Amino acid sequence: MTMPTLALAPRRMPGRWTILAIVAALFVLLGLAGIGFGSTWIPLDRVATILLGGGERTDRLIVLSLRLPRVAAAMLAGGAIALAGYQLQRITRNELASPGVLGVVDGAALGVVLFMAIFSDESNALVVPVAWQPLAAALGALGAIALVFILSGRQASSAIRLLLFGIAIAAAAKALTTIFMLVGPIYQASQAARWLAGAVNEVNWGEIQIMAICLVPALLLAALLARHLPPADLDDVSAQGIGLNVPVYRILVFANAALLTAIAVSFVGGVGFIGLIAPHLARLLVGRARLAGMLVTALVGAMMLMGADLLIRVAFSPIEVPAGTLTAILGAPYFLFLLMRKDKANG
Amino acid sequence: MDIVGSLNLDKYSPKLDGCTKSETNLTVNIHFRQTVTLSNAVMPRRDARRLSPPAILGVLAAILLVSMLASLTLGYRIYGLDQVWMALFVPDNSESATIIAGLRLPRALIAPLTGAALGLAGTIVQTLARNRIASPDTLGLNGGAALAVVLASIAFDVQSLSGLSAAAALGALVTSLVVFGVAASAGGLSPLKIVLVGVTFASLSHAIVEVFLTSNEAQLQQLLFWLSGAFVDRPMSQVLAGLPFVALGAVLALGLARPLDALQADDSTAQSLGVPLSLVRGIAFLAVALLTGAAVSMAGPVAFVGLVVPHAARHLVGLRHAWQLPAAALCGAVYATLADIAARFVIYPVEAPVGAITAIVGAFVLLLLLRRRAA
Repeated sequence: MTMPTLALAPRRMPGRWTILAIVAALFVLLGLAGIGFGSTWIPLDRVATILLGGGERTDRLIVLSLRLPRVAAAMLAGGAIALAGYQLQRITRNELASPGVLGVVDGAALGVVLFMAIFSDESNALVVPVAWQPLAAALGALGAIALVFILSGRQASSAIRLLLFGIAIAAAAKALTTIFMLVGPIYQASQAARWLAGAVNEVNWGEIQIMAICLVPALLLAALLARHLPPADLDDVSAQGIGLNVPVYRILVFANAALLTAIAVSFVGGVGFIGLIAPHLARLLVGRARLAGMLVTALVGAMMLMGADLLIRVAFSPIEVPAGTLTAILGAPYFLFLLMRKDKANG
Repeated sequence: MDIVGSLNLDKYSPKLDGCTKSETNLTVNIHFRQTVTLSNAVMPRRDARRLSPPAILGVLAAILLVSMLASLTLGYRIYGLDQVWMALFVPDNSESATIIAGLRLPRALIAPLTGAALGLAGTIVQTLARNRIASPDTLGLNGGAALAVVLASIAFDVQSLSGLSAAAALGALVTSLVVFGVAASAGGLSPLKIVLVGVTFASLSHAIVEVFLTSNEAQLQQLLFWLSGAFVDRPMSQVLAGLPFVALGAVLALGLARPLDALQADDSTAQSLGVPLSLVRGIAFLAVALLTGAAVSMAGPVAFVGLVVPHAARHLVGLRHAWQLPAAALCGAVYATLADIAARFVIYPVEAPVGAITAIVGAFVLLLLLRRRAA
């Protein structure tokens, strides 16, 4: 633990909610800035008027059809994948776990690509509503996480071994994704960046609607399951002794995490490392409290992806670099740092 | 057989508690022998029936020749051996001659060359790290080499093929030094942790490569194709540019066969046998970098070949590097050639990147090794 003082501090309830409020305020600011920045700068007050229904026509067009969709997509996907990471880290009591490294992201991507390859006609149009896409992603994600845990068996209790099983499954899923991208219609390969790295620049309002609707039951389930997440420092036996960590709840939490990942991946792609880092940042900020921890995790995750997208728009404009590459470049060194820390003797 | 055995076990199991000491020893021995046979990927088998190593190498070479011939004949169009003969030795301007000599021949050569290089590199890396799941991919060397090639061609405008090969070798060398340096500075990481560090480095370099590619659209098409790891549409000049690197790496590797045998046990044993540790390690790193760099510059990162092949070689000829290294080279060559042929047919008529085929096989083998706790 990097912050034993915070973690052990007794009764910090007021501080926790203040921090949550500050994070939420930053989140709103970043969202407005994300809409404001771009090829032309729209001041924040004008952004606010547009969002409230006023403003000039050109401004409205830029904001509502170009900038708001990518900000909203980044927000939803980042929040969902961060929450999935939180659940996985808590339920496996493994601070290195994340949807990416456990193969869930690549499993979901494989589900989407398979779905597109199977349900497209000759003219490259989907023959079923696109709303089914998250379901395909969820099936892929569930399949991947189930495989990881079935194959690792009792070795799952070792943090490092579990991760290696995840990496192997992820590698296989990624290779299959490449193959099925070639089987499917050509236009999918042009969207390859999404499935390879994660990008928010081509998401449209219809897709965001589907994401938001799917998120509602997933978030409700997450809130219901929050009580059953064991504290990070409890071993399996004691967790079971006090009624936590019952196999049914474990499976439900895994399914919930897979669902959240699938919602993010189905339209935005694999956004690496957010699911790893956001829960850590949240723990630094608010300690181990469950509700505040989950809220801050989701907000931080959303901010990370919005921030990555914003940075890319400012730094690389007019070229669209996938936002997932940036989170991967920032996240990989952090993962290395976690691995190298000596106090964690998970071999 | 099985039923009788289990019945017998049932009959004796109640008595197991009160059995004599020799009986317990027996069960322990049986158990021990079982675990040994389970991990036979590591231990050489000594059967009376098995072929001697030179004979095995001969068989492998024959299989390689056959698969290279198959690589020339099989594909979207299937040609007869007579057409192959005509195309190679009595070239005319016919369509079959153009396809066989111009398209099939380079890939029939580049596939075994790449496979052999990766097989050798994987064997050396597994011995150096004393880690059965180490390989140029899992330690991030492939990724580092790929990043170096992209950097060299975009940032420094290197165009020549041998220049790119050298850049790839340099990238692999730097990455191997960084990964092993990180592992050493952390006070001896477990083999599993080293692999996690390597995989993280690989994903890092992959992300950086993606940024470069998407921000340089002119070169995107060409480089993206190369990055997928494939033997298709490689010009003959690429084979010739990679060949000296592979040859030099192979010579260095074979020269190290005896010291590597000693290094296999542990450092103090090797030292007491008079092996100059740092010199051997340095040359071995150089060989690995040359081999990986050549493979990556010829074919792009072809995944997990260096992980799978050493296990096959060890299984066939045992632990002595004088046999293990040539066996790994031949196994790698055969494996890559067969994977290349398979890539033409899995999603016929479209061709799959060979890197995807080897990645699926490799991931399966990695899962198997993890389950057997080979590392």
